[in-house]
Amino acid sequence: MTQTPPVAAPTYEGLVTRAIAFAIDAAIIDLIALVVGVGVGLALSILNVGHDTQVVLLAVGGVAFVIWSIAYFVTFWSTTGQTPGNRLMRIRVCCADDGAALRPRRAIVRFGALILAALPFCAGFLPILVDNRRRGVHDMLAGTVVVAAISEGPRSTPARGASSPPALPSG
Amino acid sequence: MIWRTALWPARALGRRAEDAALASLDALLASRLGAEAVDRVLSSELATRTVSRALEGPLVEAVSRDLVRYAVLERLADGLLDDPQLEQLIGRTLDSEATERLLVRALDSEATERLLVRVLESRLVEEAVQRLLDGEELWLVVDEIAQSPAVTEAIGRQSLSFADQVAGQVRDRSRTADARLERAARRVLRRRDAARPDTP
Repeated sequence: MTQTPPVAAPTYEGLVTRAIAFAIDAAIIDLIALVVGVGVGLALSILNVGHDTQVVLLAVGGVAFVIWSIAYFVTFWSTTGQTPGNRLMRIRVCCADDGAALRPRRAIVRFGALILAALPFCAGFLPILVDNRRRGVHDMLAGTVVVAAISEGPRSTPARGASSPPALPSG
Repeated sequence: MIWRTALWPARALGRRAEDAALASLDALLASRLGAEAVDRVLSSELATRTVSRALEGPLVEAVSRDLVRYAVLERLADGLLDDPQLEQLIGRTLDSEATERLLVRALDSEATERLLVRVLESRLVEEAVQRLLDGEELWLVVDEIAQSPAVTEAIGRQSLSFADQVAGQVRDRSRTADARLERAARRVLRRRDAARPDTP
């Protein structure tokens, strides 16, 4: 009979660490959006577009920015479980029940819940300070946790449904 | 024509006399007597005085001028440098243990140290460095080195290491801040500290 090695308990990450990671991600998103916006603006400056067209383009730009932001987080959360900011801070977003990376649908739910948590003056993030698993409202709604990523060597993201990820306590 | 015919016996006689004189000289030079005579001449006071007078006089200057004018030294040097035997000789000399010992002794000597210190303190080094800095060649070399893959890789590695170090510090401090913030929040809310795996 083979003995399974003891699984280390996950380390949940706190508000400050997550806020720094989020700030890094926000900086990356804004920087890329700024570069693209300036590029498009310069291209449009040599074209004689009317006021109405400018308004439409502005609206399109706003929508593109929202889509870009959602795509950024959803893509990283549902693939590696780590955005670049998370990677720098060595934290990972995963499912609360099995520690696997999020499915795209759950990642979208988490992003929506993140917006909701931020709306009442970021009060939705305060539970992170007192919750046993350091979960915010968005984590509770999406069923996710933020844990410390393995720092040594290339971290392997547990595949969904695989038996390898450490079982995270539920509740 | 008549004159030539008349003088022919006299010329023939003269040539025979010259040949006989040269043959006598050769015999003299080859003989023990000749060698003895040369030895005596060279060891005589007369020879010494002759050489002294020659060296005192304008002969040395004249010889020097001619040596330069006819590029005698250059011709000698060319001949020597083209000679493969010279190369072999230099190689053997450099490879010899005696040369190595001599070099080690020279390098260990205090005189060499003093000489080196004097050279380093002299204006020569300063001027050499200044000329080097003023020249474009140095900067070309620096550019070449700076763009070499080994150097860029090393710089990249150092930068990554530094960035990783900074990120590590930020992570440590953020985790400490997390713990403090949560302790404060629990104190405000009068909640007990839950047993967390990460709580320090």
